[in-house]
Amino acid sequence: MALTKKKARWLMARKGFLDMLPLNLAVLPWGILCGSLAVQRDFSALEAILMPLIVFAGSAQLVAIELIANNASLATILFTTFIISSRHFLYGLALRDKLKVLPTKWRYSLGFLLTDELFALSSHHKSFVGQLRLVYAVVAGGSFYVFWLVWNVAGVIAGSYLPDLTHLGLDFAIAVTFIALVIPTIINIPILVTVLVAALLSVVFKLMQFELDLVAAALIAMYSGYLTDRFLHKKNDVNNADNHKISPSVKDSK
Amino acid sequence: MTLLTILLMAVITFSTRYLFIHPRLPVRLGAKMAKLLSFSAPAVLTAIWVPIIFIQQGQLSISLHNPYLIAATLAIVAAAKSKSIYLTMFVGLITFVLSRYILSL
Repeated sequence: MALTKKKARWLMARKGFLDMLPLNLAVLPWGILCGSLAVQRDFSALEAILMPLIVFAGSAQLVAIELIANNASLATILFTTFIISSRHFLYGLALRDKLKVLPTKWRYSLGFLLTDELFALSSHHKSFVGQLRLVYAVVAGGSFYVFWLVWNVAGVIAGSYLPDLTHLGLDFAIAVTFIALVIPTIINIPILVTVLVAALLSVVFKLMQFELDLVAAALIAMYSGYLTDRFLHKKNDVNNADNHKISPSVKDSK
Repeated sequence: MTLLTILLMAVITFSTRYLFIHPRLPVRLGAKMAKLLSFSAPAVLTAIWVPIIFIQQGQLSISLHNPYLIAATLAIVAAAKSKSIYLTMFVGLITFVLSRYILSL
């Protein structure tokens, strides 16, 4: 029996939801932390809920809450938000050729939903190509948005009843999720080099309290991976050329 | 005042996500750039999770007294062997809770 269009869409929506589900669950502690911290730092319920609703960025929310509570200047808050969010430029660039051709409504929705988590699920070379994959992406990204909002609201409600959660090690849930996402993608030497360089430099830059730590570490790591890839290709080409010299008949037979 | 701050923050986070997928932006990516960007996911995601494991309260922590390190090591093994996101999270979280508990005794 042929798959009807409706049925195919439903299956892709389901797959999008299920693929994002572990990530939705992993940000539970992080979301509750953001919501409750906002309330504990004297944000009104409206302000605390507007954060996940329109800012929709875990680490930027958390840092901004502390900055606002400490009466930092508007410029400081916005600059910090920009620095923390600047990694998204890379996501936009990486997906540019696939997303720029989409109709406006898909483009704006996916642009809004383009978090670390959605990007992590977008590495397939055909992602966002064709309507079914768009359904997949919007459901995956959209479910992450809904869950993030729900966890934040739960934090806002529990708010002042919760103890200070910042030292409970809740960030480990994020780390282990990204371990689960990254490690299986290390399928060749250039990616391994990328991961190792990113790991080393992100720690070094953070210890140096370099503000652009994350983006700088990522950029240098990407370039290292790229150079490794080129180096390995060149070596292959040289080997191939040698083979041709040894057996000229190969060349002739072409 | 806080409302305005939040609104402006929203403008910034959306702009950073949307800017480079806007079709009218005069940016063309060549094959080399596309290859470079293909390494962005492992690079950025790794730069997010590794400092969480190794830096505690602003200090480098490489020792068996760091529950993050113990749990992350086992999670990496689980991820490499199983490639299952749920199993990796399960192994990581169980090890993390256990080692935190044992270390606090």
